[in-house]
Amino acid sequence: MQITSFINIILGLLLAPLLLGIINKTKASFAGRTGQPLLQAYYDIIKQLQKGAVYSKTTSWIFRAGPVVGLSAVLVALAIVPVGGIAAPLAFSGDLLLLAYLLGVMRFFTVLAALDTGSSFEGMGASREVLFSAIAEPAFLIGLAAIARETGIMSLSHMLPAAHFFSPEVVLVVASLLVVFLCENARIPFDDPNTHLELTMIHEVMVLDHSGPDFAFILYSSALKLWVLGLVIVGLIFPSPAGSFWPAPVSTAICGLILLAIIVGIIESLMARLRLLRIPQLLVAAGSLSAFAFILILR
Amino acid sequence: MNYEIVLWSLISIPAISGLICIFAPSPKFALGIMCAGVFSAALLGLLAIEAVLLQGKILFAAADWLFMDALSAYNLFVMIIVFCLSSLYACIYFHEELLHNNLTLKQLRQFTSLWCGALAAMTLVLLSNNLGIMWVGIEATTLITAFLICIHVSRKSLEAMWKYILICSVGVAFAFMGTLLAAASAKGVGWGSYNALLWTTLRTNAISLNPMLIKAAFIFLLVGYGTKAGLAPLHSWLPDAHSQAPAPVSAIFSGFMLNAALYCIMRYVPIVETATGNTGWGLQFLVGFGIFSIVIAAAFIIFQKDVKRLLAYHSIEHLGIIALGFGLGGLGTFAALFHTFNHSLCKTLSFFAAGRLGQIFGGHDMENMSGSLPVSPVWGIGIFCSLLALIGIAPFSLFMSEFQLIKAAVDSQAWIVLSLFLLGAGIVFVGALGHAIPLAWGTNQKSYTPVTATYFEAFLVFAPLAVLLVLGLWMPKTFFTALNSAANIIGIVGSVAPSGVGR
Amino acid sequence: MDSTIEIMMILLLLSDMALLGLSRLRTCISIVSFQGMLLGLLALVTQLGSLTPRLIMIAAASFIIKGFVFPILLRRGIREAGTQHEIEPFVGYITSVIAGLAMLGVSLWLGTKLPLFAAGSGTSLIVPAALTTLFTGLFLIIARKNALNQCLGYIIMENGIYTFGIVSVVEIPLLVELGILLDVFVAVFVMGIAIYHINREFDHLDSDRLNVLKG
Repeated sequence: MQITSFINIILGLLLAPLLLGIINKTKASFAGRTGQPLLQAYYDIIKQLQKGAVYSKTTSWIFRAGPVVGLSAVLVALAIVPVGGIAAPLAFSGDLLLLAYLLGVMRFFTVLAALDTGSSFEGMGASREVLFSAIAEPAFLIGLAAIARETGIMSLSHMLPAAHFFSPEVVLVVASLLVVFLCENARIPFDDPNTHLELTMIHEVMVLDHSGPDFAFILYSSALKLWVLGLVIVGLIFPSPAGSFWPAPVSTAICGLILLAIIVGIIESLMARLRLLRIPQLLVAAGSLSAFAFILILR
Repeated sequence: MNYEIVLWSLISIPAISGLICIFAPSPKFALGIMCAGVFSAALLGLLAIEAVLLQGKILFAAADWLFMDALSAYNLFVMIIVFCLSSLYACIYFHEELLHNNLTLKQLRQFTSLWCGALAAMTLVLLSNNLGIMWVGIEATTLITAFLICIHVSRKSLEAMWKYILICSVGVAFAFMGTLLAAASAKGVGWGSYNALLWTTLRTNAISLNPMLIKAAFIFLLVGYGTKAGLAPLHSWLPDAHSQAPAPVSAIFSGFMLNAALYCIMRYVPIVETATGNTGWGLQFLVGFGIFSIVIAAAFIIFQKDVKRLLAYHSIEHLGIIALGFGLGGLGTFAALFHTFNHSLCKTLSFFAAGRLGQIFGGHDMENMSGSLPVSPVWGIGIFCSLLALIGIAPFSLFMSEFQLIKAAVDSQAWIVLSLFLLGAGIVFVGALGHAIPLAWGTNQKSYTPVTATYFEAFLVFAPLAVLLVLGLWMPKTFFTALNSAANIIGIVGSVAPSGVGR
Repeated sequence: MDSTIEIMMILLLLSDMALLGLSRLRTCISIVSFQGMLLGLLALVTQLGSLTPRLIMIAAASFIIKGFVFPILLRRGIREAGTQHEIEPFVGYITSVIAGLAMLGVSLWLGTKLPLFAAGSGTSLIVPAALTTLFTGLFLIIARKNALNQCLGYIIMENGIYTFGIVSVVEIPLLVELGILLDVFVAVFVMGIAIYHINREFDHLDSDRLNVLKG
């Protein structure tokens, strides 16, 4: 394990909330507003950390465990995703499955915590979250499986740099992963992170009852999730040859992530949120793109 | 004699008369041009048929793209008979409709031009040596005859037409895929683009075709042309189209269009059999389709209420019998070809009678048509006798051909096939007889004044019946040799001549 | 050239999947028109080395007929019938897409059985793509109720067959190909007239409700 591979984790920990800021800035400039400061997410997290938490009497330890487990799961995920061709510290063969399941654990505990409050709104959000992720997860896994099959490698750290972006199959997988990325991170067109109406929320409604440091954890872990999933996509689009001096691939990857954040901002500005009924259709479309790529590679 | 011109004019005469019919100034003119076109084509056709079947020539035209060998000559013969009789009948049928103001000049123009067009398209199918052009012909028959079904636009006829055009177009598209696969199977052989689809070339070089591709081709072709031929389970369009079309159209549908599709399959059988090493690989499918059609049709015949639907299911049954005959090979091929003629003639007659009686009784519901014999003796005899012939009663020639088929099944020891065939035929026998007797002698709720028939109508009924009867008892030598040479084209080795059949 | 063909085949397959999954008739017609243009180009791309007037003629004819004439005819049908969506198809859209993937799998398997192209090369996708398109068309005809959708399905089927023909069997004579193209054209035309009559007589295009004749 090289020292450089810890750069991955440090960069992620430092820069992840920045992506949220970039998305918001892009949206603001599309709308002709000044918008929040670029570092607003950092300010939010710091502010929340300084406050005390309020717990309802009806909640149990699960409610308190939710944010902590979520954050730790995503931290582990951070340690298995490579940044621009630099192997992650915990890379091993088959870690792509672990990535999917770490995200699963994170979601599972968020959902449990939401259900634990007994609020009907949160229950509603939880059920939607579970439904959509149940369709998004196959799309994600089949897409990664397709890449694994094409490269013959089962570890994200070596598989992503080895994939050729210009083969049509990889393009299909990237398109599918992009949809999954938007869904998993609760972005438009799946979910509106800035909505004011609980009825239409998915992710935000689940964390309504969290406050103080717990909410800071949640904010931070969702920023990290954005970072981790973004790295997978960027890794496929900009595969960098192994062995080059580390700042070059790393800066490519970070530029890629910033570009991705801007693209997400553009998508959010141009599209409206889909009706709830249409969301599964879009996710199935993504899943079938992945499956399509997988079948083509199996050929 | 220049047969090249004959073959060309066989196609072009109906096509031209069809074009003239579009501009016909009066109903009489339209029907006259139609008959003139059909009969002049028929006369020329008989000339060519005589040269092929009796003098043993094989005619070629259009740089080998058109040709006529014994098989196409025999089928052309059947078609000419069906078309001539149907054209005469169409004059009677539409004259009646004109009298009752059921028909406008526009509809008649549409009918006559499409009728001639259908003749041209079916002739093209029979005469083309190029398998691609043969496909074009079959698709053209589908498109041309689609509007023949709804000469009278009604909800039912539109429904029937939509089913017909959709199912048949899709089916025939499959056949096209098969044609392409057959051409692809010849790819490695290295002929020029010119020969790749010529039947004569494929037939002589069948041994060097790619077996895998030709097998795939045959499956597609069987499904495709089988749909058009109405083989079960691809038959769902057939009863609807037959029951809704005007009677003359039903007659050519049943009398020849189905056979034309089956003819296309026949053209491929020897190629496939040779390419796959004469193991009977392709024939087994024909047997399967045939038996299945017989059984399905038998099951449906019992419950029919509409006389034209009843006849339509009979068509499915008999096409099944013909396919079964081809599938059995040997004597079966001979029997199947013989049966083709018998069935076409008989079915044409029965649709004539059903249509005419339908006009008299104002509908095709068998309950309302019961007791037809006293009302219209000529057409009553027509429907009754033709139904008897269709279920295989002894002196008629359909009995003879079915009997030969049974013999073929016994020869090849296909006991399961034989028993299923006998079961199906038995059910049909009982079921159709149960319909035929009340149809002839039953008591009708309403009373109809008896209708007299002209000598012309009587001729249309009794001439086919007489032919069926005579062929059942005695087969002329020339007819036998003609059948034999046609069967030899499909048959794989040597002579398939049955010993002592029909003489 | 191989990779160009491969990309075209993948685009063809993607358009099949889109046709299975989309409900708006107008969008479907645009996709079919795209398919037609794609296939017109395919004829040229496959024979880039040896362009003959025959080939250019066929490519141009199919490009125009499938890319422009059919869509215009079908859009007229939509306008006259006033239908926008398929209402309640026999098979839902998500299920259709999954069925499409299954058809792709089967076609790939069938493609390995038909020894036309070397496995692994870009052209090895041609036969599976053609078969999938054929099956997609057939599936749409069976699974949708709207008569216009069924007509669309027929065109898609023909596209599949055309794909197969243009690439696998280049030796077909010009006259035959033109005859085929004409037949397909007339078939769609005849279906169009039939749809017009059905719409006038029934006030709907729901072929499921054309069910008077049975037994």
